[in-house]
Amino acid sequence: MSHSHDHDHEHDHEHPAAPMVEEITDFEVLEIAVRELAIEKGLFTAEDHRKFTEWAEQIGPAAGSRLVAKAWTDPAYKARVLNDAVEACKEIGIDWTEPTGSGTPSDYMNLRVLEDTPTLHHVIVCTLCSCYPRPLLGHSPYWYRSPNYRRRLIRWPRQVLAEFGLLMSPEVEIRVEDSNQKCRFMVLPARPGGTEGWSEEQLAEIVTRDTMIGVALPRAGRTADDTRPVHKARRPVPHETEARP
Amino acid sequence: MSSDKSAGVPARFNVGDRVRVRELPNLFYTRTQMYVRSVTGTIAARTYEDLTPEDEAWNRDDARREQYYIVRFRQKDLWPEYPFAADTLQTELPDGWLEPANN
Repeated sequence: MSHSHDHDHEHDHEHPAAPMVEEITDFEVLEIAVRELAIEKGLFTAEDHRKFTEWAEQIGPAAGSRLVAKAWTDPAYKARVLNDAVEACKEIGIDWTEPTGSGTPSDYMNLRVLEDTPTLHHVIVCTLCSCYPRPLLGHSPYWYRSPNYRRRLIRWPRQVLAEFGLLMSPEVEIRVEDSNQKCRFMVLPARPGGTEGWSEEQLAEIVTRDTMIGVALPRAGRTADDTRPVHKARRPVPHETEARP
Repeated sequence: MSSDKSAGVPARFNVGDRVRVRELPNLFYTRTQMYVRSVTGTIAARTYEDLTPEDEAWNRDDARREQYYIVRFRQKDLWPEYPFAADTLQTELPDGWLEPANN
């Protein structure tokens, strides 16, 4: 073995590759193990699993927006929503039993819609983990599942709402819904001013995901498609191609 | 006595009743949060009848089902230093975790 070979060998070890992903959790290992066993047993195929994953991940908050817009324009529909929300979801094309017949990905078949009024504002959280009305709102945002949101919202709701940019008047009762059994909850926000005569489609555009969690209020002119504010750098670094003569 | 093991425990509470969350030992699994233990609230809704989390966690599918309730608490009762008297918090609890309260 030559000296130069040893040197090269040591050199490789001085620069170990940095890990590109965070450590996998026990639950992820468990999911993979069960999934692979189920595929080997023939319960479903890998293709079935991919298709279901694609289906589950494309669910967004659009259905919830439609429900709120319809409830704003049709008092009889709102009454049905407040009386039996799972049944009322069928009128906007959402069947909580899909696709398995037993509720996946809703977890369960109980939904209660919480109606805001001028003097009452609801906000939802799951302090145990991540209960969320997925058939209507899709997958929860990352912060909804974070320990920070879960442990602080129940105790300091007004401060946490302020961190989302929502300052609530002390006159308004804040009602936190800790969703940690088999009911799922969604907020029916109050219809904002400036939307008189709007169609259901127009109204649905301003009912964003966060307004149905309760960390924002809908308002005319702000839609789910709003672009994020871009703050230009104060001391921009010229791009290489721009710096060339 | 009925031989149907899955028959439900009769629901003891109605909307408006005052209830206190019991302080029971944690054995292996529960979904009853510590912050509501021993606190008094009001039944806001009756939801459904189902197994308790403590039984379900051990696949005791033949255990007796219990009525679940949404219970409303005043935030000031949960956190003594809470400054807004009207603010509330609701969470869901099965019958067995509740006891009648008079205040």
